[in-house]
Amino acid sequence: MSSNYQSKKLDKKQKRCVAIIQNECKIEPVADGISKYVAILNAGLSTGLTEELVLETVEKFGKITRLLMLPNKSYCFMECSSTEDAQNIVQNMNGISKIGQKEAVVYLSYFDSLPQAEDSNWLKPLPKGLVILNDFVTEEEEKLLLDVIKMDNVEVDAALKHRRVKHFGYEFIYGKNNVDPHKPLTNKIPQKCDALWPRLESISKSCNYDFDWYVPDQLTVNSYEPGQGIPPHVDTHSAFLDPILSLSLESDVVLEFRKGLEKRSVLLPRRSLLVMSGEARYDWTHGITPRVLDVVMTANGNLSTRRRSKRTSLTFRRLRRAPCNCNFPLLCDTKLEALKRTESTIESEKAALLEEKNVHNVYDHIAEHFSETRHSPWPQVADFLKSFPQSSILLDVGCGNGKYLNCNPNLLNIGCDRSSGLLKVCSSLNYQTFRCDCIHVPVRSNSVDGCISIAVIHHLATKERRLMAIKELARILRPSGQGLIYVWAKDQNANNKKSSYLRQNKSVNKQKATEEQQRQQTQQQLEEKAKEAPVSLPVHTNRTEFLQQDVLVPWKVKNASAQQSEAEKSTFLRYYHVFEENELESLIGEVNDIKLVKSYYDQGNHCVIFEKLSKSL
Amino acid sequence: MKLSTYNFLTSKAIKGVKVGYPLKLTIAKKDVVETEFNPTFIERLLPKLDWNTVYLAAQTVDLADDIPQEQPAAVADNEELLQRLHHLLLEIDVLEGQLECPETGRVFPITDGIPNMLLNEDEV
Repeated sequence: MSSNYQSKKLDKKQKRCVAIIQNECKIEPVADGISKYVAILNAGLSTGLTEELVLETVEKFGKITRLLMLPNKSYCFMECSSTEDAQNIVQNMNGISKIGQKEAVVYLSYFDSLPQAEDSNWLKPLPKGLVILNDFVTEEEEKLLLDVIKMDNVEVDAALKHRRVKHFGYEFIYGKNNVDPHKPLTNKIPQKCDALWPRLESISKSCNYDFDWYVPDQLTVNSYEPGQGIPPHVDTHSAFLDPILSLSLESDVVLEFRKGLEKRSVLLPRRSLLVMSGEARYDWTHGITPRVLDVVMTANGNLSTRRRSKRTSLTFRRLRRAPCNCNFPLLCDTKLEALKRTESTIESEKAALLEEKNVHNVYDHIAEHFSETRHSPWPQVADFLKSFPQSSILLDVGCGNGKYLNCNPNLLNIGCDRSSGLLKVCSSLNYQTFRCDCIHVPVRSNSVDGCISIAVIHHLATKERRLMAIKELARILRPSGQGLIYVWAKDQNANNKKSSYLRQNKSVNKQKATEEQQRQQTQQQLEEKAKEAPVSLPVHTNRTEFLQQDVLVPWKVKNASAQQSEAEKSTFLRYYHVFEENELESLIGEVNDIKLVKSYYDQGNHCVIFEKLSKSL
Repeated sequence: MKLSTYNFLTSKAIKGVKVGYPLKLTIAKKDVVETEFNPTFIERLLPKLDWNTVYLAAQTVDLADDIPQEQPAAVADNEELLQRLHHLLLEIDVLEGQLECPETGRVFPITDGIPNMLLNEDEV
């Protein structure tokens, strides 16, 4: 290879790096001249570059006043004391210094300024209730503790991504994320730990820390090899009291805290005790990213990387033995359990009233706008309709604006709906309809060849009523006739593919923004819960995953004209019972004279095709 | 409401009603909407209809002379009859009127071509 070719290749690579920085950092290269701002183009935090190594290398050639390393970037920046320093550094390092990934040679370029550093997680205040007590144990104590714990003869646990785990006092059962208070282990917390508690008491008093604490009765020891981690989690509220204590031995590590959009990275130094109380214990998740290098903040406020070594953590907790009484509902198993219980008990006498108010009235109000948004038939429903021979009688129970009444013009298509507003839309299109509800269909038994119920049964508020609706479909079908049912699925993410309902979430920071919305909403719901009528139900955040099965889904009427009254412009809440997997199939199983032909998941719906048995006349 | 639709409607859901069929149809206002005649469609449709109610519908719209009281055995070659049935079942559109339960006398109004078969909770 000619040196000319090589230099051309090098030039090309350098240009590509510069272009990336230009694009990502919004700063411009200084093409001909020299400036005191210099970028190392191909080494940074993501390639494992450390602050120490940069400083050590650079200082042989010139002085720098600032080193800027950005998280997840394979480049970094320096501000030099003068342009002479900058020139000297570039001349002596560019294409020479081997501080890149796997000792690769690095390339340097001048820029007109330093990029605007994003607000670092490190500079924000720690989660409320989080305290780190440095040097909580001495090196000698560290050794003693490791000796009594004896992690070396613990088997690695494949289910826990090969982390070694050992429990004292009570076993923490990972499947249910809880302990069984009736089954204490013979292995108590080692006595060597007893010395820690008077120490914690005196520190908490002398430093005026705002946490109560108890002598722990449960200890979980985790042993992490470099590269291992633990997924973000909250210690089960109902299992343990506040606070949670965690002693780090053998290595530093960075613990990542999250609360909705908020993120904090917290360095836990070796031999420190972490105290998580209040908000930090209840409302933030914590976890360790599985990786070998941690990005940490150095004493002078810069980011650098640090190589992990083997780390042992001792998590001390005290069993709660009662439901949780915290004020942080979102991650609280006790509160979420209570929320679930309320949803399963919609009383039958209130069901009709709820449907009247939060289904029928709503559809009559939103009929026109609803109809405008429902025009294209779902392909698999259309396929079902096309499977019938000419002159078959087809009844669409809950036909809405009639979008399925013209899919197959070779059939005698009849629709019915509860909403007179939607029936008027059908009428204007010359479709045959009548008005009724779906649990009393005024059609003679054994008379139709096919029936469909698309997005209808999920509006019924009790299981009995949902079952009645299916029995009605079964009743009106002739023997060998087939029915198709679509209901909204609670799981809008089946097969790891977001349904179009979720995909239409257009917010820029999709996942995170909605997560945050959901947090706020859950909070509000719990506060507002008691006030709602006829049945208090959670309000769902549109374009997000369902948190409960029985929910109120907002419908916002758009294009409201000036003539429309305030009431017409407002948001309406439609009641939905979203279906769990297999729930629809099991309802079908409860109806005597039909058999399941096929069940599938389509467009965020659970769907079944069933057939009426011939002997059932 | 077309008279083909009428053929399927019943008031059996009302508490205590045994058959609820056929409903008594009274027409206040009707229209005739011409649609394309497809003899095969009508021929295949007939076995799915209740013939008595087809005849009853014909009586209601004064077309009983066109339609035999008993269901004919073979209609495939009788294009004239098929044409009449096409007109009766698919072209006549009842706009205003009522349907009445033969057992309880409960009236279901037909407004703007749409029968309101909705029952109150206390009727079922």
